[in-house]
Amino acid sequence: MYRDISVKLVDVSKSIGTRVLFTGINLVVNAGQCLAITGPNGSGKSTLLKIIAGLNQPTTGTIQIISNNKQFDAEERRACLGLISPEIILYADLTGRENILFFTRLRKIRCNEHQIEGYCQKVGLSIDKDQLVRTYSTGMRQRLKFALMLAMQPLLWLLDEPSSNLDADGKRLIAQMISNGLEQNAAIIIATNEPWEAEHADYKIELA
Amino acid sequence: MPTIRLNLLNCIWAIMMKDGLCEFRTRYAVSALFMFALISLASISMSIGAASLPADLTAALLWVLLFFCAMAGLSRVFVQEEESGTIIALQIYGSGQAVLFGKLLFNILMLLSLTMLIIPLFIIFLNVDIYHWPIFIVVLILGDIGIAAASTITAAVVAKTQGKNALFTVLTFPILLPQFLSSISATAKILMNVKPDISDILFMAVYNVVLMIASSIVFDYLWYD
Repeated sequence: MYRDISVKLVDVSKSIGTRVLFTGINLVVNAGQCLAITGPNGSGKSTLLKIIAGLNQPTTGTIQIISNNKQFDAEERRACLGLISPEIILYADLTGRENILFFTRLRKIRCNEHQIEGYCQKVGLSIDKDQLVRTYSTGMRQRLKFALMLAMQPLLWLLDEPSSNLDADGKRLIAQMISNGLEQNAAIIIATNEPWEAEHADYKIELA
Repeated sequence: MPTIRLNLLNCIWAIMMKDGLCEFRTRYAVSALFMFALISLASISMSIGAASLPADLTAALLWVLLFFCAMAGLSRVFVQEEESGTIIALQIYGSGQAVLFGKLLFNILMLLSLTMLIIPLFIIFLNVDIYHWPIFIVVLILGDIGIAAASTITAAVVAKTQGKNALFTVLTFPILLPQFLSSISATAKILMNVKPDISDILFMAVYNVVLMIASSIVFDYLWYD
């Protein structure tokens, strides 16, 4: 396990066509720290998270994920992170349990039934875990993404609007999970417009 | 919490089983492909009546049928992931090579299953005599693997574009043409009660291997932009 993980962005910018989303982003997030990225719609919060996840390339600048003085390559970077985003869609024709089983296998982590039950219970999906995801409400789908995050045990959490579609109980649950993640030394980056989500952050950046 | 690290083969297996399970539950591709094959063969059979077709034409018909079944169904493996939005989760949590070979394996098994359904219909509807069954089976397996390999990599290309299925056919055909001609030639010989040259069979096998190696090299660039 790489417990001393840190994420470093050096002079990162992103343009789409002639439109400049952001420029000169420099930041460091260490294990056990939380960064909130805020800004109006279209300011590039989600794009910045996708760049950190390696799903998009920055126009300029570099993203380094470092652990034990070793810089991760692209594959190691993906293997250490978990992403929760409205753009992440789970398989509608699989059950919640099958989705967790499938994605943990892809991460080369073996999860047994007892563990899956535990993750689903933590996010309040215990009863519905054997239902097809196509029958889930949007809030339940969001909870399933968090169950998957728990199963993955990532060192870097990238959360894009994590409480979207959640009820009050779900929001409390997510707040608790973020606190637990920080206690367990995960590095967490949240893109949000919700003030209460940003409250978890050790520091914030605002994209214009 | 103790975790056990699994190897690449397990990931490939997981992707193939996931695709199989989703297909089993929805039957999007299987039903469409089987109906396409059935209707095509029945139409040809009714058109030609009692007349028998020359062996090379019959062989071409069989492979054109399999090719179009592949065009109609196998392209879905990546396009469906793109359209349903599940591709981002796959990119984040899966390795490119596991995704490629998992989907390739699924396509091979799908096409082989379809072939097993089509061949009896082909024999019945077109009144065909098959000689040299073991060699015929080898030719079918190699030809199916070639079609599945070409379909899988071009489906990955097409999933990243807006052209979708039209582009898929245009891209797949030239990649597949050498394999396609060898399959038709070998099948025509079998239907004429002539054993195909070993060089034909070897060419098909080597072409499949080259296609898979080339796909493996290209795929990571496609998968991670």
